[in-house]
Amino acid sequence: MQQENFSPQQSIDLIQSMILKTKNTVADSSVFFLLWGWVVFIACLLQYFLKNIVHYQYHYYAWLMIIIGIAGSVYLGSQQDKKTKVKTYIDESIDHLWMSIGITYLALGLIFAKIGYENAFTFYILLYGIGCFVTGRLIKFTPLVWGGIGAWLLAILSAYLDYDSNILITAVSILISYIIPGYLLRMKYKKITTN
Amino acid sequence: MFNELDPILHSQLRLAVMSLLISVKEAEFTFLKEKTNATAGNLSVQINKLKEAGYIEVIKQFSNNYPQTICKVTKAGIDAFEIYVKALQTYMHPNNSGQ
Repeated sequence: MQQENFSPQQSIDLIQSMILKTKNTVADSSVFFLLWGWVVFIACLLQYFLKNIVHYQYHYYAWLMIIIGIAGSVYLGSQQDKKTKVKTYIDESIDHLWMSIGITYLALGLIFAKIGYENAFTFYILLYGIGCFVTGRLIKFTPLVWGGIGAWLLAILSAYLDYDSNILITAVSILISYIIPGYLLRMKYKKITTN
Repeated sequence: MFNELDPILHSQLRLAVMSLLISVKEAEFTFLKEKTNATAGNLSVQINKLKEAGYIEVIKQFSNNYPQTICKVTKAGIDAFEIYVKALQTYMHPNNSGQ
């Protein structure tokens, strides 16, 4: 690929073929969905168990599991950076989206510490909806889009239910918006890399 | 009237590299090598020419103790690419070249 006397049509064809080669290049983010999906899912079930079955006073300690999620994200993020050969604008948009959602989780944590956690889950589920829907649209992956829509519907439902039910609603919402799409996304990338 | 084609871009490998970089934020040397099927030596020479022309930025760094070369297109590179594509259009559709 060195000759310089190629025709304008060949130039156009070359530009098109190269742009097509980058078109579907998006980093595999399924590992983050699975990590956070399982952390939150287990934390929900653990809190429900501690609160309603064991009747432990400090049932919310179950959410200390988030530390595993943060440490895991930092580790996996650094591993992915080492492996990444190309960064697209979509990758960058997704990074910024989840960074802003992460900051919003943190801000909400501080806000609920002041005003009370009674309706906290509703807002957390709404954020799952935004993150999954936008990511799904950006990477053109329908299960994430549907997961996001499902999370929004469950957020509305959670507003009509009590705190204990909301713990379980959150577990269901993370299952449909993170865990199931996460496994499907991983399968999709495995298929792409083996082909 | 045909517009002159930028000689820096009117070379298959350099044009391929620019076309890849124009659609991403940044790409590693190995990615460009894999997508263009070029040899490392030839690709290195062409990347250097694009860098000298100010069309791309080349960042050399270490990742996991291995040297890593990251390339990204510059504003001058985007402008040159757009002018090149417009010039190509005058060859493809000579009747519209006066517009």
